[in-house]
Amino acid sequence: MIGGLFIYNHKGEVLISRVYRDDIGRNAVDAFRVNVIHARQQVRSPVTNIARTSFFHVKRSNIWLAAVTKQNVNAAMVFEFLYKMCDVMAAYFGKISEENIKNNFVLIYELLDEILDFGYPQNSETGALKTFITQQGIKSQHTKEEQSQITSQVTGQIGWRREGIKYRRNELFLDVLESVNLLMSPQGQVLSAHVSGRVVMKSYLSGMPECKFGMNDKIVIEKQGKGTADETSKSGKQSIAIDDCTFHQCVRLSKFDSERSISFIPPDGEFELMRYRTTKDIILPFRVIPLVREVGRTKLEVKVVIKSNFKPSLLAQKIEVRIPTPLNTSGVQVICMKGKAKYKASENAIVWKIKRMAGMKESQISAEIELLPTNDKKKWARPPISMNFEVPFAPSGLKVRYLKVFEPKLNYSDHDVIKWVRYIGRSGIYETRC
Amino acid sequence: MPYLGSEDVVKELKKALCNPHIQADRLRYRNVIQRVIRYMTQGLDMSGVFMEMVKASATVDIVQKKLVYLYMCTYAPLKPDLALLAINTLCKDCSDPNPMVRGLALRSMCSLRMPGVQEYIQQPILNGLRDKASYVRRVAVLGCAKMHNLHGDSEVDGALVNELYSLLRDQDPIVVVNCLRSLEEILKLEGGVVINKPIAHHLLNRMSKLDQWGQAEVLNFLLRYQPRSEEELFDILNLLDSFLKSSSPGVVMGATKLFLILAKKFPHVQTDVLVRVKGPLLAACSSESRELCFVALCHVRQILHSLPGHFSSHYKKFFCSYSEPHYIKLQKVEVLCELVNDENVQQVLEELRGYCTDVSADFAQSAIFAIGGIARTYTDQCVQILTELLGLRQEHITTVVVQTFRDLVWLCPQCTEAVCQALPGCEENIQDSEGKQALIWLLGVHGERIPNAPYVLEDFVENVKSETFPAVKMELLTALLRLFLSRPAECQDMLGRLLYYCIEEEKDMAVRDRGLFYYRLLLVGIDEVKRILCSPKSDPTLGLLEDPAERPVNSWASDFNTLVPVYGKAHWATISKCQGAERCGPELPKTSSFAASGPLIPEDNKEREQELPDSGALMLVPNRQLTADYFEKTWLSLKVAHQQVLPWRGEFHPDTLQMALQVVNIQTIAMSRAGTRPWKAYLSAQDDTGCLFLTELLLEPENSEMQISVKQNEARTETLNSFISVLETVIGTIEEIKS
Repeated sequence: MIGGLFIYNHKGEVLISRVYRDDIGRNAVDAFRVNVIHARQQVRSPVTNIARTSFFHVKRSNIWLAAVTKQNVNAAMVFEFLYKMCDVMAAYFGKISEENIKNNFVLIYELLDEILDFGYPQNSETGALKTFITQQGIKSQHTKEEQSQITSQVTGQIGWRREGIKYRRNELFLDVLESVNLLMSPQGQVLSAHVSGRVVMKSYLSGMPECKFGMNDKIVIEKQGKGTADETSKSGKQSIAIDDCTFHQCVRLSKFDSERSISFIPPDGEFELMRYRTTKDIILPFRVIPLVREVGRTKLEVKVVIKSNFKPSLLAQKIEVRIPTPLNTSGVQVICMKGKAKYKASENAIVWKIKRMAGMKESQISAEIELLPTNDKKKWARPPISMNFEVPFAPSGLKVRYLKVFEPKLNYSDHDVIKWVRYIGRSGIYETRC
Repeated sequence: MPYLGSEDVVKELKKALCNPHIQADRLRYRNVIQRVIRYMTQGLDMSGVFMEMVKASATVDIVQKKLVYLYMCTYAPLKPDLALLAINTLCKDCSDPNPMVRGLALRSMCSLRMPGVQEYIQQPILNGLRDKASYVRRVAVLGCAKMHNLHGDSEVDGALVNELYSLLRDQDPIVVVNCLRSLEEILKLEGGVVINKPIAHHLLNRMSKLDQWGQAEVLNFLLRYQPRSEEELFDILNLLDSFLKSSSPGVVMGATKLFLILAKKFPHVQTDVLVRVKGPLLAACSSESRELCFVALCHVRQILHSLPGHFSSHYKKFFCSYSEPHYIKLQKVEVLCELVNDENVQQVLEELRGYCTDVSADFAQSAIFAIGGIARTYTDQCVQILTELLGLRQEHITTVVVQTFRDLVWLCPQCTEAVCQALPGCEENIQDSEGKQALIWLLGVHGERIPNAPYVLEDFVENVKSETFPAVKMELLTALLRLFLSRPAECQDMLGRLLYYCIEEEKDMAVRDRGLFYYRLLLVGIDEVKRILCSPKSDPTLGLLEDPAERPVNSWASDFNTLVPVYGKAHWATISKCQGAERCGPELPKTSSFAASGPLIPEDNKEREQELPDSGALMLVPNRQLTADYFEKTWLSLKVAHQQVLPWRGEFHPDTLQMALQVVNIQTIAMSRAGTRPWKAYLSAQDDTGCLFLTELLLEPENSEMQISVKQNEARTETLNSFISVLETVIGTIEEIKS
């Protein structure tokens, strides 16, 4: 149960404040600003207790969202709610920024009114919310059709999809979005690596379509391949082991458990079909080989080689390598074969950016770092070299095998649906120690 | 909070809202209303335009309606009479053909927190409960709880409760969940909503239709249900199985808790459940949503308390990454510290050592403490690492390492030798109070094994004048006295200097008292000093007993998935204790301390209640001055309860004696002038039970003895004996000082 919800900008000015319960007063707004936003030290915990009131906060760019309660609530649930709130807001007006929040503040109050009542979460599906939130307003008299929608939407079996949706063109988009995380020792040994992925679907389908989704999950393929031994060995290489996966509410879990098939009636518009995690056989798109040499007390030589490790026909984008430099750096000379490198004194790092890079290539940067002599005996802690990139494949190796659509009542078949699949692998925390 | 110039703003807005031209133009009208809401958000007092806003609620523009209702809900308690004007519009809206308008009006009406609104909302709520649109029913169901809240916990409306119970069978999942929430609040005093077998099974069957919030809520309510038979229990667990793998971590945690509680008599089921949620928990721990990751880590720690080996094979998942926020790193270090076993200890220590040189001093220190924790089991490796860290000669590292050593020597005496070898030289790098205390303590206790211990302490003694922390000075006194016992030749001179400084020059009373105490102790004799300072230590294993290695799952199952693991049990106890006190009434004194609450809590009341002494001990009440008349009367009416003669030699200063007696709360009623022979004094004292002790002292220098006669108004030998021993000690001490 949430007693109140506040949104602040980075200065601690209140942008939105909505109180749901009597036990939360106006002073709670100020307490959070003074004790957390304006606090000198780092944030010690996302859950703060001030005068027996718990404040749960998340930060999006420089916006603080805080949920406040006096009860002993489930912390995980409150955070999930805040994430959901961010998602819903993003779905309405894009990026969560101070400007967007100020411009849409009426809308946000409307949303807060619908999503929470008396501090209890109500309907939070973006699609379903659209019926209640009237951005254009000005018309009280709804058409008959709309009214019946509001009524039928809940009398029907499924809460996430309303009936009577029609599209001239039946279309669906599948995005496999992965973030690959790596922690590598200076010797090139993988300390930990995992991929957390999401399958996001945007569906524009008429009626109540029944969908079936297939991927190269190891267990499924082994099950199917029982008859033909050849196929198992052939496809066995390409199948992947998923550590654990979770699905959107619409997926029938009983069917997944018994047959490992993923079937569902999708919500209208964008939703997250599935979330998964893998730790085995991850394709690490880049290898970083660092070489740091201390020449005397006032000079440091750094050489970093990056190797791309995927098909030569694919192109990685937005590559950024961040090489930390000591605090007492006085000057840096950089030579790189590709891209642009710059020493950013404010960030204490050399930032090396490459726009594009094909697979199976390698590139290197070497830098000479001049140090100011200090009497500080403190040894430089050598933070790891971190990397950002985007690649057009799934580093976990996940492949979408099919997505079939059946709509028995309307006359369109699986072939008439236009389907799009896209793979994007991004770097999560991708660090190599040096 | 009225901001500067808010009056002008209100005036201007009022004018704008009344302006017929603006009222005619919908967009402009709405813009003015938006401005009102904006100022309201910023904390300006906008209650001045209430009247105008009420007028604005009569519109067909839904957005405008919503804004006005939001405004009214905020200010209705301030302007109850004006708010009643709005009720009319709201009631009309409650019968609008559009379900959205009906719902909106009903919700706003129920949220008008003002007295007297109940009579108006009762009927619309009842209508709402039977509305054909589920949207309105949802609102109406929660409206019941709001109405009950307004009543202020008065009697429960039985018919309404029955209606709500029957709505648990509603088709709409959100209505069902809202019913549970509403019933819970209405029946709070009677122990909340009753979950009997039909309701429980009904809810179980509806689970898959609910959204994640509903599922989490229902799982929470099901905790209350007690299955009749074992068979039923396992049926329920089977039904709920899939929720352990839900996509929402909140639901997973809720399901886990339910499993743990339902299966509290089946430890193997509990263990099995914890094994199965390992995957989802690990996924949450490595998820990108940091706050969720933090919560998951807190729960992982909780599980580790009972099953230390549970996550050992996944220890690499808890390695910190450079860019993670501070609070996650700290949690991960704690987790790493707890899942160490023979196989991974090498890697974990290697990793922790890396953190010790982190830029953030805070993080580095927690890593060092973690190594100290591991050292209780893997002493040699850890001591070696810690010793190497001393070589870095970093202030913030050295101080923590020395503190860790202090604790370690206490818990694992076998490592004393290694620690003693590592210590020399680190005094140069310690500046803070905690570190200095630890170092001084170590030097004092194990000084005989550290060759240069006296010289290090000598430095401290030399600089004692510029020392800012009294705690360090006290520690120094004790340590030096201890070292004096084992190495008297090297320490005697500086001990004298230190004692002189503490007694004569020191301003801090605690330090001065400690100095005086040691001084007098030394006067008693070296054997006595040894007896007190080197008395047997408490058993070091006792410290470990405080946090037993394994706690049964059932001891924390009811706290799982609440705020308790997030705050930590101790902190939560103080928070909830205060909440309890608040409920009893704010006038109650808050005696709890905020020791664990961290710097964020405003500590308005730090006082601790003084511990009551044991009933057997004597407690003399200070400032119990009797009048001479009263004393005389009582003295004459009582018989002598005890008489004793003490030896007395040398000179005699009555003032000193009087002062000394004052210290132990014995008052002097009258005494002869100094030099009179025989010298006489009358003393009185009273203990905490009200028992009076009247004493006559008679000093005859010719016989070199002092005669003491004590009278007591209640015959209790036990307290009499303790009183006499106090008296003897005082007189004995005074005599020795003189001689």
